Amino acid sequence: MNLELLAVFAGASIRLSAPMMLAATGELVSERAGVLNMSVEGMMLTGAFLGATFSWLTGNPSIGLLCGMLGVIPLALLQAFLSVTLRANQIVTGIGINILALGGTTLAYREIFGERSSAAIPGLAHWSPPVLGKLPLIGEPVFGQVWLLYAGLAVLLATSVIMRRTALGVALHATGVAPRAVDQSGLPVARIRYGAVLFSGVMSAAAGCFISIGDIHTFTEGMTNGTGYLAIAAIIFGNWKIGRTALACLLFGAATAMQFQLPMFGLHVPTALLIMLPYLLALVAVAGLIGRQTAPPALTQPFKR
Amino acid sequence: MNRHMKLQTPLASAPGTQSWRARWPHLRVACVIAAAVAFAMLAALALIALMHVSIAEALAAFADGAWGSPYAIGASINRSLAFALVGTGFVIANRAKLTNVGGEGQLAIGGIVATAMSLYGGCAHLPFGLSFIVPMLCAAAAGAVWGGVPGVLKAKAGTNEVISTLLLSFIAVWLLYWCVQSEALLRQPMTNGATLPESLEIPDPTKLPAILAASGMNLNIGLPVTIVLAVASAILLARTRFGLALRAAGLNAIAAKRAGLPITSSLVGALALAGAFSGLAGALMLQGDQYSLKAGFSSGYGFDGLVVGLLARGSITGVFAAALLFGFLRSGGINMEMVAQVPSALVLIVQGIVTIALAGGALWLDKGEARR
Repeated sequence: MNLELLAVFAGASIRLSAPMMLAATGELVSERAGVLNMSVEGMMLTGAFLGATFSWLTGNPSIGLLCGMLGVIPLALLQAFLSVTLRANQIVTGIGINILALGGTTLAYREIFGERSSAAIPGLAHWSPPVLGKLPLIGEPVFGQVWLLYAGLAVLLATSVIMRRTALGVALHATGVAPRAVDQSGLPVARIRYGAVLFSGVMSAAAGCFISIGDIHTFTEGMTNGTGYLAIAAIIFGNWKIGRTALACLLFGAATAMQFQLPMFGLHVPTALLIMLPYLLALVAVAGLIGRQTAPPALTQPFKR
Repeated sequence: MNRHMKLQTPLASAPGTQSWRARWPHLRVACVIAAAVAFAMLAALALIALMHVSIAEALAAFADGAWGSPYAIGASINRSLAFALVGTGFVIANRAKLTNVGGEGQLAIGGIVATAMSLYGGCAHLPFGLSFIVPMLCAAAAGAVWGGVPGVLKAKAGTNEVISTLLLSFIAVWLLYWCVQSEALLRQPMTNGATLPESLEIPDPTKLPAILAASGMNLNIGLPVTIVLAVASAILLARTRFGLALRAAGLNAIAAKRAGLPITSSLVGALALAGAFSGLAGALMLQGDQYSLKAGFSSGYGFDGLVVGLLARGSITGVFAAALLFGFLRSGGINMEMVAQVPSALVLIVQGIVTIALAGGALWLDKGEARR
């Protein structure tokens, strides 16, 4: 085992955890406000598709990313309308949107790309931080990442500060704990929840774009392949705290990266076990085996004035 | 459905002045559901037109695949069985306001266990039809365990069953993948490089016996088994102490506990039963249709079953209607893809729209029922 391989492994772990981190940042805000947005997976897929399509059409991946993030807004509005205004079962609407997104993107992909399915799609540029990227041996493999990753980290930090230090953050927390109290203090519960779901949708789309135009540079049917659910699992494992959730994403990313890296180290662990690991860890966490779970009390509870 | 509502004093209104909607809430619900399905179908037709495929051709292919021949009808019905079983389980758990999202995984576990028992459990040599009954029972038992764990977690640690059933579902699906990838587990012996990652075919005695063979519909005893179980479930929910405890637990768990009803065991029992039904569905799919375990064995049937359970809105009759709808939709969709080059993803869109429309409409549907 040498340093170079380890650096490659660390870089791969970070790269694979990035979409989870992006999606989990948005999802955490939504869950903190009391809406379990189960449609992250579908929104990621939609974002991935729109990002790839517009990147391919315009030749500019940044425009693709923008289109992906904007294009998912109707879907996010739908989810918010169903779960906040219509007070529908959030899990059901989420699964419904996931099914719809899988069907819709598959159909649209076949229609638009058809025979050209192997067309190369321009991807987002790489960037490495000034000093860290210049480190010998480990600089490039670890820190030379798609810029969206660093943008996502910035959003994560900003979210964490906003959640902890601002009136908006306090209101968000309170909406997921005691919506009635929030309502009685004169704040609009519905509007806060709409905002949270929209944020979750846009971040999910960015996460999807990271996969399609950041990492793989193409679109394939159902390409998110459960990453959205992993983001939800990371939040559970992170006990609805933003720092721990980010660490959980990194851990899950490392577990995914191990599939490709362990054979290089001469170790043979069943792939399925590694893919299963994040879900197992989340289950252990949610079963209360590692500390008390503190899900927002009003999570999945619709609010009626 | 919602018999408890009768306990409340009905809104004071003379019989003649009530609107038809208040008098026949079931009719109202049926109308809303039919409207949602019709809307989704129209959307699908519009999409087909957009794709420059002749609608007549696509519809002909759909009809052909769904009910065009006895064999097609049989295939659609066989598909419906899995949906009906998962949906029935969902309805049972939902009576206690529990949402079992784990049908997909419970189905996979059922498939794994049924395969293991059929191939390596020595079931092939059992007499009196036990050769196919034992794998089915084992699959149901394994599903019950997989479904019961979230129940225990809910009772002991207060874990939200939606989250735990969903996580367990993913674990089971990857467990299945592991089983068919590893020779030490269920993968067939590798004789050459082209050996597919799937199990051996199960021995003939463990396959489900055919019924009505002369009809050419390729039906098996899964059909009567499903019907009997569904009727039994309807009776269980409507006429037994267990059913009452479930309903009470769903309405007000604390009050029910004070009244001396066994709430904890009812919750665990309901989820375990839901798991058992899904596990059995896995066994039916394997022993009645696929005969060997492959990666992607469950292929979304568990999630479809969940949607079926939702559409049924607590009624077992509704489960059958929705299961048949989905069974025919899937069969027709597959044929449409093969014959008319319309991607079967269209079926997913229809299912998604129906699910979203009914989830969103729940507010009005519930209001209609509560008015009784």
